[in-house]
Amino acid sequence: MTTKLNSTNELKNLRKKIKSSFVSKKIQITICGGTGCNAFGSKGVITSFLNEIRKRKIEDRVEILKVGCYGFCENGPIVVIKPQNIFYRHVAFEDVSEIISKTILKEEIIDRLLYIDPISGKKYTFYQDIPFFNKQKRLLLKNNPQADLIQINSYLALDGYTALEKVLDNLSPEKVINEIKEAKLCGRGGAGFPTGLKWEYCSQSYSLKKYLVCNADEGDPGAFMNRSILEGNPHLVLEGIIITAYAIGADEGYIYVRGEYPFAVEYIKAAISQAESLGLLGNNILGSNFSFSIKVKEGVGSFVCGEETALISSIEGKRGMPRVKPPYPTSKGLWEKPTVVNNVETLANVPFIINEGSEEYQNKGLNNSSGTKILAVSGRICNGGLIEVPLGTSIRYVIYDICGGLPKGRSLKAVQIGGPSGGYILPKDLDIPLDFQSLQKKGAMLGSGILSVMDETSCIVDSSLSFLDFLKDELCGQCAPCRIGIKRLHEILTKITMGEGKEEDINLLFEISNTLKDTSLCNLGKTASLPLLSALDNFLEEFKEHILYKKCKAHVCDELYTAPCSDTCPVNIEVHGYVALIAQERFMEALELIKEKNPFPSICGRVCHHPCEVRCRRREIDEAMALRALKRFVADHEIELEKKSLKPIITKHRPEQIAIIGAGPSGLAAAYHLARRGYKVTIFEALETPGGMLAVAIPDYRLPKRILRYEIEDIERLGVKIKTNTMIGKDISFSEIRANSQAVYIAIGATINSELNIPGEESKGVSPAISFLKDMNLGNKLTLGNKVAVIGGGNVAIDAARSSLRLGASEVTIVYRRAKDDMPAIHEEIIDAEEEGIKILTLTAPNKIVSDNGQVKGLECLQIELSNFFDKSGRRIPNPIPDSEFILDVDMIIPAVGQKIDSSFLKDELVLTKKGTIQINSNTGETSLPGVFAGGDAASGPATVVEAIASGNIAAISIDKYLNDGKESREVVSTGKQTILEEEPATYRRHVMPTLGKKERLTGFKEVELGFTKKMAIDEARRCLRCHEKE
Amino acid sequence: MEIIKINIDNQQVQVPKGTTILKAAEIAGIEIPNLCFHKRLNPNSVCRVCVVEVKGESSLVSSCSYTIEKELTIYTDNERVKTARKLVLELIMSTHPNDCLLCENNGSCKLQDYAYQYEVEVFKFTRERPKYNIDKSNPFIIRDYNKCILCGRCVSICHQEQCSDIINYTHRGFDTKVSTYFDRGLEESSCAFCGQCVSVCPTGALSEKVAKGKARSWELKKVNTICPYCGCGCSIDLNVKDNQVIKVTSPENESINNGNLCVKGRFGFDFINHPERLKSPLLKDKNGNFKEISWHEAITTIASKLREIKDNYGSNAIAGLSSAKCTNEENYVFQKFMRAAIGTNNIDHCARL
Repeated sequence: MTTKLNSTNELKNLRKKIKSSFVSKKIQITICGGTGCNAFGSKGVITSFLNEIRKRKIEDRVEILKVGCYGFCENGPIVVIKPQNIFYRHVAFEDVSEIISKTILKEEIIDRLLYIDPISGKKYTFYQDIPFFNKQKRLLLKNNPQADLIQINSYLALDGYTALEKVLDNLSPEKVINEIKEAKLCGRGGAGFPTGLKWEYCSQSYSLKKYLVCNADEGDPGAFMNRSILEGNPHLVLEGIIITAYAIGADEGYIYVRGEYPFAVEYIKAAISQAESLGLLGNNILGSNFSFSIKVKEGVGSFVCGEETALISSIEGKRGMPRVKPPYPTSKGLWEKPTVVNNVETLANVPFIINEGSEEYQNKGLNNSSGTKILAVSGRICNGGLIEVPLGTSIRYVIYDICGGLPKGRSLKAVQIGGPSGGYILPKDLDIPLDFQSLQKKGAMLGSGILSVMDETSCIVDSSLSFLDFLKDELCGQCAPCRIGIKRLHEILTKITMGEGKEEDINLLFEISNTLKDTSLCNLGKTASLPLLSALDNFLEEFKEHILYKKCKAHVCDELYTAPCSDTCPVNIEVHGYVALIAQERFMEALELIKEKNPFPSICGRVCHHPCEVRCRRREIDEAMALRALKRFVADHEIELEKKSLKPIITKHRPEQIAIIGAGPSGLAAAYHLARRGYKVTIFEALETPGGMLAVAIPDYRLPKRILRYEIEDIERLGVKIKTNTMIGKDISFSEIRANSQAVYIAIGATINSELNIPGEESKGVSPAISFLKDMNLGNKLTLGNKVAVIGGGNVAIDAARSSLRLGASEVTIVYRRAKDDMPAIHEEIIDAEEEGIKILTLTAPNKIVSDNGQVKGLECLQIELSNFFDKSGRRIPNPIPDSEFILDVDMIIPAVGQKIDSSFLKDELVLTKKGTIQINSNTGETSLPGVFAGGDAASGPATVVEAIASGNIAAISIDKYLNDGKESREVVSTGKQTILEEEPATYRRHVMPTLGKKERLTGFKEVELGFTKKMAIDEARRCLRCHEKE
Repeated sequence: MEIIKINIDNQQVQVPKGTTILKAAEIAGIEIPNLCFHKRLNPNSVCRVCVVEVKGESSLVSSCSYTIEKELTIYTDNERVKTARKLVLELIMSTHPNDCLLCENNGSCKLQDYAYQYEVEVFKFTRERPKYNIDKSNPFIIRDYNKCILCGRCVSICHQEQCSDIINYTHRGFDTKVSTYFDRGLEESSCAFCGQCVSVCPTGALSEKVAKGKARSWELKKVNTICPYCGCGCSIDLNVKDNQVIKVTSPENESINNGNLCVKGRFGFDFINHPERLKSPLLKDKNGNFKEISWHEAITTIASKLREIKDNYGSNAIAGLSSAKCTNEENYVFQKFMRAAIGTNNIDHCARL
């Protein structure tokens, strides 16, 4: 084989010979030999396979192949068994013997090694069925896992070096350049400069000596596409290099590889020597007049050497520092000679273009781009890794269709594209195509193709800082704005993340960033501030939060949050504090701490939508802490022990009278805090019972009436008077209330059902959810249907559905227009509802109520398709599918599509918003009238219980300040700080809430959740990771 | 030569193709501030103070390196340029010790001039900067890299003019520093102490040790003369205060050396005011001790001895060796004396040693 080939015909013959012997009848076990899988131990797996095969003497039937990177690195080591393509992941050497004895010898599939799709939960057996792979369009990476391509024979067997053959046989250098120009190939290293044009410039530069340099100094953090090609298919790159050299007239070339890529260096060197021995490199290649030799130069780990002029300096043996352009390398490059510097990925495209033609190549792209692009996707994404898609594919397709979107419960905040020289793309812009120009318009850059997916736990300030942190150590240091500017930006951002930022810092950031962009010598400096500028453009508010309010909502900047749970809680309960107290069995202190902020621990312990759990860091390991259950436990513990609550803390009795309109959670919370500050509080409630929505909307099986009563009585014990059956405008006038009190708080809620706005809504049997639940809770007369449809996806809808079932309906269906994941109801509630036998029809919208003589007979529905456009909430906009009507056979319909506020009595008194809610300053609760405050659903529109309590707290503090010369009359006591837990967090999983058996549940309104036992509570509390203890 | 028309700050100027914008501006009578450019050296384009706006270019360009290849419209001082330039100066100043009062270069410092001209806010940013020890270890050059703005001129002149490559950039990022190999003192390197680096330093980072504390720049009077040390005939400026030579510089003009000097020309003048310098003739007595004598006695003694040798052994038995520490006029007279009066060509000079 080592004889040199002297013509293209000899190469053709050799290929034919190899091909005929290459078809294997053996079972092939291919193991990924890429760096990722190697790190997971694929080398050991390969050895184990070889040993095992030898031991069992089945070498004649089975062969082992080390193949190139799959790009699915987090699943490594990957083993694919051919010809069926059985795909095993995370294979350890312990699994080898089992694979041989079961899969190879008995054709049994080993279940635990199969890939499970994180979205659908579906198991996949075969490589080609996995969505991550089959939704990509692989051109360059296609052959990576096919064979051991480090061997030139394998490459030749897969039609390698045919493009070189074609070039030497038929194409002049000019024709090659033209083909590349027509293919519209653009540089894949980042700048996207037209490759053909670059070649043309170089070929037109007059010089007897020209160079070709292959830039494999892949340095962008997170990029590894070049490594993957070099490791998986080195001859592809080499073929591209030889053709390029032929086109531009270079007789010498360099491959500049990162020294940190030991395998890439090894493989490309091996490929070079194989090619040399076949006469594909060296003098008179394949007997032609064209001679070309290539050397490998290993970089020593400098990011800036990826910049072409710095790279040239480095090859020359100088310090790797960029030079001023112009002159461009195509006229004055390596050793002052015309030089083309092309990226690995760019060069790897060349053989395809030559073989298939420029037109075919253009067709491989989308939206006016040609070819494909390899992307490295990482961050908060289900399937990270290396993917190859047509250039011009939308970001959405990449993130959601190929990579499976974000893990459950995470919402997309931004996609960072282009790494340290790129920018942030917002969810609303996900449909823009991934190409060089479109991204630039949005302030991002395709760059080398790094996509980092960020969710609400990613802090933009911190992210911008991390790029500068990288660059400040990597920049070459010669030009002043870059060297000093980046340092100063880094200092300012560090200050901001430490809570020492000043408002004027924002201007300074803009000033430096813009100057950096405008004056730096090379592209490293010119693009260094782009991530920051993009961050400032898109997330200015987040910067301001850091600077003005000293808050990092993502809970990343250590100095700017206490703990994710406590900071997320709308009423700012010191969650980490009460958890620690529970772990130490100090239940009363825990309760005291909760009641410092929230008068309803027992209620919230049952019905809160627990945003604290959503942000709990324990989720990253297994599951969130059961915080709601813990809160309920300490509250119930108090009730059980009949300790009759905490002693009312009343600082000093004050003469001022305060009137509160509405005895819902918001009004009661405000009353609680004001009474504790010594004010005389009277609450006016229109209904016969206090509690608002807690009393009328939430069914007993979720919140027993005695619990509600108990916590309201607790507030009454502080001296708060509640006047029920007192409607403003009917029983007492608003002006009378104002005249008799020094301050008024309006928390009248949103109690009117929103309409469906579909025909037939007036029919008998249509009973809006709030009215239905209210009648039920207040013991009024109800007419219930047999087959019930509830329309809506919120908690009220679920409450109505589960109550109907308990009241005797035989069939209950929830109709919701979006996907189940989009339902705003508490997740556990949805699961419970389904367990009880409620059907949830998602992606379905009501169209018409069918009635007979005014009595509901059915519900006509339309099927819905989620569009590719997102609304303000970040959810896809639902669109009805034409002609998809069907009729749901029901005799009762409960619309639960939101509530409105009845603000009629306030119309002439207060400024209202367009939606009819009361306009307030959300930081203080102040309305347009002095001394009149408002909050709860009446101001915010329908929201959750805990949010209503939060607005009551805010109003109480504002009223206190209003009556106390702008100061708070009482300081909040914190006990959480004294509760440091010594032992390590417990390693077991979250405790499951004990519930009532299904049969027992449906017989009445008995509470479904039974609460934690003392032992469960203490054990659960010990799982806390103590994010508030920072080092 | 192809001539290209350009519009620079609304002035029409014609320049040869390939002229840099900086040069073109000079032709048009416009001064573009710059720190790292030096006409003896290839442009480094690193200070980014000379940036200007060229219509059609996406970012500002450095005028020192941007050559004019086609018709251009250039703005050297519009708002965009001024804002950027000021901020770059402010950034540079934020790493500067800002102790002009004590600096040798006070009054002859470009950075100081521009900071003044652009009304730079010195305390706009944090002033964190690397702290370096001042290197006074060698006899000639004080190296205070705290004042270094990394313009790279010293590196360039060491490489391009001296072909010595004694110093270069070391480290990366904000900690980049000009240094010798392994950051040893210059005396441990193969440095010849030509002082070329000192001559191009735009700030007080590199200064002549001998002049330290002796004169402010505006007190110095430059007296132009020719270096006596060798046959090159380099043009030098004696920087004089109170009739004392404080230091030697070289004018960058059409002279033979165009500002370049070697160690002797630049630093070899300490003998002028040296306390041990001979000021009267000495005669060795029989005991071998020198004794001060009068000029008359000295000349008479030498004349009689020379005549004696010449009469007994001929003119060629006498050789004359003159000194670089004499003036050129004195050297001229001496060789004339040797040839005409003594009658020999045995005349040489220490610079040939």
